Amino acid sequence: MANSTVTSYAEALFAIAAAEGDLSGVEEELFQFAQAFRSNDELSSTLADQSAPVSGRQQVVEDLLNGKASTTTTALVSMMVGAGRAAELPDIVDALVERSAASRNKDVATVRSVVDLTADQKDRLATAINTRTGKAVEIKVVIDPTVLGGAVTQIGDEIIDGSVRRRLNQLRESFR
Amino acid sequence: MRNRRTRLLAAPLLTLLGVLAFAGPAQASGESVGACMADHLEELVDQHDGDLHDVLHDEHVQDELEKCFEAPNPILPETTEIIWGGAAFLILFVVMVKKGFPAVKGAMDARAEKIRSDLDAADQAKADALAVQSDYEARLADAKSEASRLIDEARGAADQVKADLMVRHETEMAEQRERAAAEIESARTQAIADLRAEVTDIALGAAERVVQSSLDAEVQGRLIDAYIDEVAGTNG
Repeated sequence: MANSTVTSYAEALFAIAAAEGDLSGVEEELFQFAQAFRSNDELSSTLADQSAPVSGRQQVVEDLLNGKASTTTTALVSMMVGAGRAAELPDIVDALVERSAASRNKDVATVRSVVDLTADQKDRLATAINTRTGKAVEIKVVIDPTVLGGAVTQIGDEIIDGSVRRRLNQLRESFR
Repeated sequence: MRNRRTRLLAAPLLTLLGVLAFAGPAQASGESVGACMADHLEELVDQHDGDLHDVLHDEHVQDELEKCFEAPNPILPETTEIIWGGAAFLILFVVMVKKGFPAVKGAMDARAEKIRSDLDAADQAKADALAVQSDYEARLADAKSEASRLIDEARGAADQVKADLMVRHETEMAEQRERAAAEIESARTQAIADLRAEVTDIALGAAERVVQSSLDAEVQGRLIDAYIDEVAGTNG
């Protein structure tokens, strides 16, 4: 459960993105940046280093996102780094995604796969999940090479694992 | 008792006989021949009314005077000595009977009583000693009996301890054998499991590398499609 600080920041980001009229785009860009932040230890340690000058860390953000993300997304990330909330950035973005989906009466389904899903695959998977769980979901894809193949979907506490990694683990267990 | 009294009476009698037997002659009492002759002459003169001439011509005078030259009786003392001796003897005898004999008798009685008391004490001591000896022997017998009983108990306890130790030893040995067998089996099972895990890891590692190298984007897309179909197909 997100704490009040995370929720407050998520609400602020949601309001700013909505005010800028590009909620889905900013949300997606922040989501991708948060995934990169989680998977890259050097990036996370650099941005969360309180001993480093704020301007320097914000410059790193500018350099990373320049030309790859909207100015709103860049400004929001820079703002969180400047506020000393870089360490909480992934949780804040997750809360933002859930808040955004909730505004559309949907849940978030995080899908981890080796490759990105096509729009058709996302729609079919959302439909399949809706059929299976009765929940209307928005698909958020996280590129994860450890999955090896297939995909792993998490909706809240429920996990639907159809990865090659799971098959190999099952095979490993059957050998023992 | 009677023998003692006889011995007491015999002592003064023997003394009297000794006095009579070994009494010296008259001259031994200090009277010389001249004095004897003077005494006889004086006595004869008196008998002849003072006529010395008649005395000297009397035949008997010669015989009487010649007696002064004769040895005195070796046995009989002078009459005066007998009288004085007898009187002394009687006095001594009376003193002995009145004083000495009771004193000696009392001493003898006391001595006899003391000896009797000593004998009684000795008898009592002997009886006491015998009683002590009997008690000692009884205690010794009891001690021997108790020692024998204790030895038997100790031997029994030792046998029991030995039996218990043997049982415990056998039990421990059996438990050790069981533990050793279990440990061997566990080690064998663990070794097999480790070997199997190692082989599995190697095989799956190789399979994983094969999968990673063989799954291109097209295959990944098909796998995701299959996953979507699986999610949709597992409904209900």
